[in-house]
Amino acid sequence: MNLIAELEKLVSDLSGDLSKVASLVMLDDLQTVYLGRKGKLAGLMGRLPEVASAERPAFGKAANAAKEQMGGMFEERRKSYQAAAADRDLARFDPSLPGRMPGRGALHPITLVMEEICHILNNLGFETISGPEVETDFNNFQALNFPLDHPARDMQDTLFINEGIVMRTHTSPMQVRAMLEKKKPPLAVIAPGKVYRRDSDLTHSPMFHQIEGLLVDEKVSLAHLRGTLTFFLRELFGPEVKVRFRPSFFPFTEPSLEVDMSCILCRGTGAREVGRGRKEPCRVCKSSGWLEILGSGMVHPAVFTAVGFSPECSGFAFGLGVERVAMLKYGIDDLRMFFENDLRFLKQFS
Amino acid sequence: MLLSLNWLREFVHYEGDGAELGRRLTMAGLEMEGISRPYAALKSIVTGHVLECARHPEADKLAVCRVDVGSEVLDIVCGAPNVAAGQKVAVVKAGSALPSGLVIKKTKLRGVPSNGMICSESELGLSEEHDGILVLPGAVKIGLPLTEALKLDDEILDISITPNRGDCLSVLGLAREAAAILGLPLHLPVFSRRVDGLEADGELSVAIPDPDLCPLYHGLLIENVKSAPSPGWLRYRLNAVGVRPISNLVDVTNYVMLELGQPLHAFDLEKIRGEICVRAADAGEIFTTLDGKQRVLNSSDITIRDERGVICLGGIMGGLNSEITDTTSKVFLESAIFNPANIRKSARRLNLHSEASFRFERGVDQGGATFALERAAHLMAIVADGHVRPGLIKNEARPLRRKRIRLRMGFTQERLGVSIQSSFYEKTLRSLGCSMDDASGDLRFGENNPSAQWDVTPPSHRQDLRREIDLVEEVIRIYGVDRIPAQLPNITRILDDAGRPLSKTAFQSRVKHWARGVSLNEIITYSFVGHRELEILDIPVAKSIRIMNPLSDDLDVLRPHLVPGLLNALRNNLAQNAPSVRLFETAATFAADETSETGAKEEARLGIILHGARQSDLWPHSPGDLDYLDLKGLIEHLLQSLLLPEANFVTAQGDSYPWLSPAVDIILAGDKIGFAGRVKTGIADRYLTRKDAWTAEINLDILHSLHKKSKILFQSLPTFPPARRDITFISPLGLRADAILESIARMRSPLAVEARLIDCYEPQGTNERNLTFRFTFRRADRTLKDAEADKQRDLIVETVQKTLGVRV
Repeated sequence: MNLIAELEKLVSDLSGDLSKVASLVMLDDLQTVYLGRKGKLAGLMGRLPEVASAERPAFGKAANAAKEQMGGMFEERRKSYQAAAADRDLARFDPSLPGRMPGRGALHPITLVMEEICHILNNLGFETISGPEVETDFNNFQALNFPLDHPARDMQDTLFINEGIVMRTHTSPMQVRAMLEKKKPPLAVIAPGKVYRRDSDLTHSPMFHQIEGLLVDEKVSLAHLRGTLTFFLRELFGPEVKVRFRPSFFPFTEPSLEVDMSCILCRGTGAREVGRGRKEPCRVCKSSGWLEILGSGMVHPAVFTAVGFSPECSGFAFGLGVERVAMLKYGIDDLRMFFENDLRFLKQFS
Repeated sequence: MLLSLNWLREFVHYEGDGAELGRRLTMAGLEMEGISRPYAALKSIVTGHVLECARHPEADKLAVCRVDVGSEVLDIVCGAPNVAAGQKVAVVKAGSALPSGLVIKKTKLRGVPSNGMICSESELGLSEEHDGILVLPGAVKIGLPLTEALKLDDEILDISITPNRGDCLSVLGLAREAAAILGLPLHLPVFSRRVDGLEADGELSVAIPDPDLCPLYHGLLIENVKSAPSPGWLRYRLNAVGVRPISNLVDVTNYVMLELGQPLHAFDLEKIRGEICVRAADAGEIFTTLDGKQRVLNSSDITIRDERGVICLGGIMGGLNSEITDTTSKVFLESAIFNPANIRKSARRLNLHSEASFRFERGVDQGGATFALERAAHLMAIVADGHVRPGLIKNEARPLRRKRIRLRMGFTQERLGVSIQSSFYEKTLRSLGCSMDDASGDLRFGENNPSAQWDVTPPSHRQDLRREIDLVEEVIRIYGVDRIPAQLPNITRILDDAGRPLSKTAFQSRVKHWARGVSLNEIITYSFVGHRELEILDIPVAKSIRIMNPLSDDLDVLRPHLVPGLLNALRNNLAQNAPSVRLFETAATFAADETSETGAKEEARLGIILHGARQSDLWPHSPGDLDYLDLKGLIEHLLQSLLLPEANFVTAQGDSYPWLSPAVDIILAGDKIGFAGRVKTGIADRYLTRKDAWTAEINLDILHSLHKKSKILFQSLPTFPPARRDITFISPLGLRADAILESIARMRSPLAVEARLIDCYEPQGTNERNLTFRFTFRRADRTLKDAEADKQRDLIVETVQKTLGVRV
């Protein structure tokens, strides 16, 4: 049998052997047997000296053709194996298995609300400042027009460090600090932070959070206060929120105003639909349609005098309790949740 | 302040209901907190006439009555000792209920049918009187609801009075407000001023050495009084506003205080000797108040004295030695004004808070003291069957000075942002009792000219009106603050404020967001802890700041570290079986610091605590518990995130952190920025831990100042490829891993770019571990040859072997 015929037999042998191959590994082995450096094709090629020189080109051509053909056969077979493997992979793939999720942290709801509030007010042009939680009686009370031995001090049950030093009862001393530092108008600041009262029950915590706002500039009016707070409450609770002003008393503002917003649960109607046209009184606003949300007013001239500003300066100040906003915003009904730090609570805000 | 609507109607003829008045008062700054109808439960009680009253045939203490209740005549068996034929009485018919909710049924008492009950005051909830039935005035019509017969159909408004409005702590005060708000006239009580006997002012005189303490002290003498229970109308009215009736003499002083706002005090005249003097107590003086308690006085207490000594603690409480009793027949009735600050100090120090001290602290109307005195004296004469002596015993040591305040319309408009007609200013302030003088002079022309101005003199009862801005508030309060329009201000930005570094708040916010990103959960805990908790943690309490008046022993120290809060939050979560707890808090810690204005040094810190499973305990996460390397990794991650250099973690010397073992100091560029460690087992057990609890505290103030200086500087990418060589050192267990790196760093090899630990293996049963480092070498100007890298490797091996004695 001449070598060309042996080449042809090699190809047909391969097609027989291929039919017995059962795995990718066997296929690789078979490829080595046929096409490897010491394989069958190489063996035939090694016998080239046996071929007459005139026939050598024809043999070379036939050998290349056989190599190509066999390579193709292996390739075809490999592809079909790969396709089958891919099919098997696909069949095994389960998109419903749980993901390998990176750990998930959470910010405290008080932080979330504080940052949102500060963000809104920063955009309006208020700069965020901060200061100490242990305060002098002067900054916390006297400069804010709470004289010694005055019943206005009863409005805030105070934790004392000693006679002249207190745990700040509100963020308002930051008004004093800001004006003392700036030395002259204009200024527009907000001061978020912890405050302390000697009070602890279902609706009072001895530590809670407030945000104070202060604007001192030329010709500031109550209309500007209303504009600022309306803008702020709409940003925080939505465009349909209505704002109501009510006279009140804070020693460091005159006139002093309580700011109510329309109840976010009953939309100011005082009643809530409970299905099929039936209504029940709104629990959140106790049917009044309004929620107390902020204290505010025009800065009292005595405060300006205390910090060395002219008593003819104009400005407004406001303050709000962060816990109350968070409770309204997230529907939290128990103040104590904020300080129990239960992960089942915290994780809801992540 | 509880306000009876019926009482108010005696001053202002208001026709509406309580809810509407409450709403109007609320919108004028007097917030209504609630409405009650104290006698609403009496609606089913009717008046009746006892036609017959006979002794029960079977029981001596029972009477069988026939009672006409208008629509019918009822047989009622009554056990009261005072029941008698001809009386007008209050009857609850069978089937109706008493205020207590008890339903009266038809019954038989020892064989005699009873179809209702004749009620006592206590059964009706009118007073505590229960010895006999309530006997109504003879003129009462029968068959009427009792509430109507006794004018008890009243609404009680609970009005919250802000501390500046002491003038509103009376029916008169709220009536003045209501009159101004509603535009109705105000009527003062009218009473007869019949007097009898000798002039009184020669009998008793009053000395006031210090008018600051007591600018006014007046009195009247009422003689021949007979102490007895007050008549029904007086008792029911006091009862309705929460004041317990005592006796006619005492009840009148309370009644007039509630009505006119002037606290009054009644002395038994026969117990006073010589002249009255009002002055500060002598320090250490002892005085027995009428509650029988001995009080040690000091020089801020105001005393009323006779020639023998203190007879009353002015504005606070009377004395046992001058108290009126059942046998008192001559009364000296005092109406005085005391210094609010002194009253406040005394009331607080002695813990004697009363309706009187509450009013004096908030300021009582000096201009109304005499009227109230006369009102009370004449009422007392009527209800106690006595007579008022002519002549006022008086000493107004310092007459009231009334201040004129200039009110500018232009200023007002500028502050309010709303323009109101000048006639409204005048009408409003006059309705509030101010007198107004036009001070515009030539400036004024036209109704709404902002140049209009007035000189305003507030009434004596409005001591809170001191400045122009106070008048501005009055105008807008009555106009309606809710009518102010909304307008956004143009906030002036200051150029010099531009480009300032990240604020403290913003920096802390950045840290919080970093923490959330590395799956830490933020907690917020109280800034105060209990000193006992610090003792458990072995934290010295001495340098900590104590709260003078803590809510409890568990909240009496300002925390010097965050660890107590972190541990408590950990415990709360372990109690809920949380498998993995990763918490952080950013908050201030406090330390005593004499150089600080507040005596406290407040340091912002980040606290972290880790406990339990590293990852979720669910498939496909690999199991494993959080350990030191997790904690350290977090801190290194934080520092990198803040563009800060690598920190050194070194075992803390001594017992700096007695709650931690091991404890590690974290050093960054020479600064100690915090510490980390494992909570000691004995301590951690108290917090329900089952695994190691790892905690760290980082000083954020230092990180903030370092961060401000840090910058990102781009470095061009290397052009030529690096060569890497791995070396495994077999080192003894006590040797710190970074000792090897340090000895290599000291070589200052120009080609070494980086050395990283890639494997750490401790073969069992040896005191050694295999540390494999991967070294990266590079040249900036050309590709490094293999031989050059090999040479570097050999150099490193040689150096480390020589300096540290480790094997390779």
